[in-house]
Amino acid sequence: MKLPRSLRRRILAGLLASLVLALGFIASRAYLHSPNRGLPYRDSFAKGRANEWKAFGGTWELVNGVMRNDSDERGAKLLSGSPYWRNYSIEADINLLGISGDAGLVIRSANEEEGVNAYSGYYAGVRTLDNALILGRAEHGWMEVVKQYPTPGGIRPFQWYHLKLLAYDCQIVAAVTTPSQATPTSLGINDPDCVHSGRVGLRSYSSGGIWRNVLVRPATYQDLVETLKSGRGPGDSEARDTALPDSESLGLQPRQEQQKANVRSNANTQIIASLRLTSFAMPATATVRGVVILTAPLLFVQDSTGGVYIPQPTAPLLKVGDEVEVTGEVHPGDFSSTLEHAKVQVLWARTPVPPVSVTASQASTGRYDATFIEVQGRLAAKERGPDNTLILDLDEGPQSFRAILNPGRSDYLFSKLKLNSSLRLRGVCVVDAAFTRNLTPFVLLLRSNEDLEVLAGPPWWSTGHVIAIVIASLLLALVVNFVYNRIAHWRLQGVLEERQRLAHEMHDTLAQSFAGIGFQLQAIRNGLPDGMPTLHQQLDLASNLVRHSHEEARRSIATLRPEALESEDILSALDYCARRMVEGGPVQVVSEREGDERPIPLRIADTLYRIGQEAIANAVRHAHPTILKVRLTYSGNAVCLQIDDNGTGFTQGGGLLGFGIRGMRRRAESISAAFQLQSKPGEGTRIQITASLPPRMTLVSWPKLLWKYVWGHWIDGRPTKHADSHSYRG
Amino acid sequence: MNKLCQYGHLWGRNKSCLGVAGLACVLVLWASACRSHRQVRIAVIPQTEGTLFWEAAHTGTEDAADPAGIFIYWKAPTREDDVEAQIALVDRVVDNNYQGLVLAPDQALSLIMPVRRALAHGIPTVIIGSPLPIPAGGNLSYILNDDVDGGRLAAERVAGLLNGHGTVALLGINPDITGIMIRARAFEQVLAQNYPGIRIVEERMGSFNVPHEQQVAEDALRANPDLDVIVALMSTTVDGTLSALDTTPERHSVKVIGFDDAGLPPFDQKRSLDSVIQEDTRSMGQQAIELIHSRLLGQSVPATVHLHPKLITRNNIDTPEVRLMFSQDWTLGRWRWSSAQ
Repeated sequence: MKLPRSLRRRILAGLLASLVLALGFIASRAYLHSPNRGLPYRDSFAKGRANEWKAFGGTWELVNGVMRNDSDERGAKLLSGSPYWRNYSIEADINLLGISGDAGLVIRSANEEEGVNAYSGYYAGVRTLDNALILGRAEHGWMEVVKQYPTPGGIRPFQWYHLKLLAYDCQIVAAVTTPSQATPTSLGINDPDCVHSGRVGLRSYSSGGIWRNVLVRPATYQDLVETLKSGRGPGDSEARDTALPDSESLGLQPRQEQQKANVRSNANTQIIASLRLTSFAMPATATVRGVVILTAPLLFVQDSTGGVYIPQPTAPLLKVGDEVEVTGEVHPGDFSSTLEHAKVQVLWARTPVPPVSVTASQASTGRYDATFIEVQGRLAAKERGPDNTLILDLDEGPQSFRAILNPGRSDYLFSKLKLNSSLRLRGVCVVDAAFTRNLTPFVLLLRSNEDLEVLAGPPWWSTGHVIAIVIASLLLALVVNFVYNRIAHWRLQGVLEERQRLAHEMHDTLAQSFAGIGFQLQAIRNGLPDGMPTLHQQLDLASNLVRHSHEEARRSIATLRPEALESEDILSALDYCARRMVEGGPVQVVSEREGDERPIPLRIADTLYRIGQEAIANAVRHAHPTILKVRLTYSGNAVCLQIDDNGTGFTQGGGLLGFGIRGMRRRAESISAAFQLQSKPGEGTRIQITASLPPRMTLVSWPKLLWKYVWGHWIDGRPTKHADSHSYRG
Repeated sequence: MNKLCQYGHLWGRNKSCLGVAGLACVLVLWASACRSHRQVRIAVIPQTEGTLFWEAAHTGTEDAADPAGIFIYWKAPTREDDVEAQIALVDRVVDNNYQGLVLAPDQALSLIMPVRRALAHGIPTVIIGSPLPIPAGGNLSYILNDDVDGGRLAAERVAGLLNGHGTVALLGINPDITGIMIRARAFEQVLAQNYPGIRIVEERMGSFNVPHEQQVAEDALRANPDLDVIVALMSTTVDGTLSALDTTPERHSVKVIGFDDAGLPPFDQKRSLDSVIQEDTRSMGQQAIELIHSRLLGQSVPATVHLHPKLITRNNIDTPEVRLMFSQDWTLGRWRWSSAQ
């Protein structure tokens, strides 16, 4: 079977389009899954940008152009990159913030969650506990190899190390060095059942840390060999040559952390809540123990009874989660106290305490002042405050409060937050007027942007959306109305075409047959001898009947044909129709028009034409007039058709209201037109039909029309005549 | 024909006219209804209706409102610690378009936002009793108890009782009420500066729960056998402390100086009760209404007024001045027409 040419062309075009789409999909997928997409990568920490990094635990913040995790949390991770990166290396400068853990880099990471080893991938780090470079694989568990660091003094906190981690096929290599060290220390493993691809990350374990100069780039086998051999591959100097602040300029002062055996704790410690009962008049010295809940912009320590604010302490580098002992001068406040001139001693490095979940109303009482809390709220406004800090204004029930974030990693999240979103925030509650400015009952100081969680976006039913829905509904209604009108128009057009077809059929068959029969009867009559008068008489009668039927058929054909209506206005069409009906007779046809002619919708025009035809036909058949007047008057938003004859007339209500007049009334009602019939015996007949026309739409008139439309359709419940007529506009 | 065509328009126009006329009628009725409620309405929300402490203030507000034809809406939570209920009351006042608000806050911080909302709606607001951390000005005024003076009065009374030497327990410290913290600090300051021989041996936080305050007082008495005076900064603490002393007859030598008793101090029944330092809540209520009325009349008003508390002892409890502070005489108020026949 041979397909048509057009169909074949369409199939071919469809196949080509599918091919292009498939190729596009394959190309985009190949690009997105490319093992080198986005490589090489260099961090933008120095520029204060880290939007592409995602934290799993810890308190990751950009401070002085470096990435810093001030948390003692075990296994806090910060991840970035493509999950399809395969053979590549990551290197960075690393500084440990504690002696009791390690910090390093993650490679080929996948399936990450918050947790100690909650990811699939490889980790290499420098560890202070055993002065070692460690390399291992995490699979929601941990396997490692260890190499002791040979340099005297071993791995120490607050010193920069350059760590490189490389993965090529199933070989993983780590190398660590210091700027002063000539020979790097390297370590490698071959994992036959290796993780083949994944993202990169920064990670610390119980120590916190600082990272800078993070560089990720594709790796070759040659790089693998070089790194394993020398700990340094081609181009490594590029990563280290960038000048950045050293430890001292970053404010890193080594702390004298103490092992449990060395801790000399004060025996006269008291609970933090008791500080509020210290004499207002005579400041006293007190010692408390607690956990660090915030280090910047201020130091807060909390125990199970409450929190205390420690301004400008004499303290080593502190991390969130450190258990400390603080001795200072007590200044009790209304809701919490301050320890001034305080000396802070680190007892233990622990994981941060969880927040107390409260409502904004509870936090507004001041009972949670200087305490780490979790609270929910609706974002009412956001702005930038002093020092470019990020300020969120939130509401919950009758209360309002503020949340303050540090700039840096939070910038991106801040810019994406939408007003009226529902947020969950974790931070230190502060009621001090220095923060609240007495505008809100309390302020929440957030540690990092991980302390902010978007629970739900803004409600969909905003003012803008409601307006959009109303506009869309109106547009839809207009479209539906337009389509409905077009369908009605097409239906009417179909009816007219069918009538025309019937007229043609009748003309070609019935009328021709009548003509043929008449001709044959005339031929028979002419062929008959004159001596058959009866037969002649019968043939004449038959011929007359045929002629009469022929005329009826012609009249019906004229009635059915809509060409006149289509090509001319109603008055011309009716004039033509009347003249054809009275053709050859003594009736004078007069046509008149008044007013400014304007378009008439097809349905109204058709109805007026049919009524006029019927009126003319009735006058011609029954009234025997000498004058037949057809008048069409345009006035305002109405058109009036009037048919007058000076024929015999009839008595109204005298039983002469036949099928024709009832039909005219029904037609008039179908377009909500007024039908009037006036007739008296001997005084002729007048038929008048007044129909409303759709109003003209002008700048001045449209509000009035809209009001009428609304009143008619939604308030009154009944459509107006204008509205109905309008819907049939031709 | 034109007439025929116009009928439809006339009908439509009539309907429009009817609608407009109906709307106009509603507006006229509403406007007339508004005219009939042009009486000034001021809402007064004290800390609680659960005790008689603020009833004197109620009398004071009615005294000031009656001559000016002001309607007083008096409503408060049933307990002093029902902060949420007081917030809801303030919000209701804002929603119901009262012409003024007088508030004795239950909590210093929680009432910040509701009061700010009232001020944002242009409602003249007077805070009575204890302050909020919102600066006075604009539509916000304060008529406060002079708690520094109250602390000083208590300290000097203690010094007088102890002749400059002895031990004191300071109970009922409650940070929710800023005034209490102010009087506690003032008390300590005066003692530290002027009477170094008197030691504060016990300081305890207070609550609006009398059994708890009794427990606290009993603990303080047990912990300090040589305690001479207890200063109770809250009325519930006064009640709890007196109950604690009732249960320990051997400690009747301990004297109690209280603050803000709900009614006339029961010196006859409670021999341990030495004196009470009382806020003049009646004057607070009266002056608050007068202040709002003046503001509504466009007159300038003071931003902050401090009313001195009164030290009430057995010697002056029957003076007219003290009797007036506790007076709940309603005959001058809005019920004067209902006199018995």
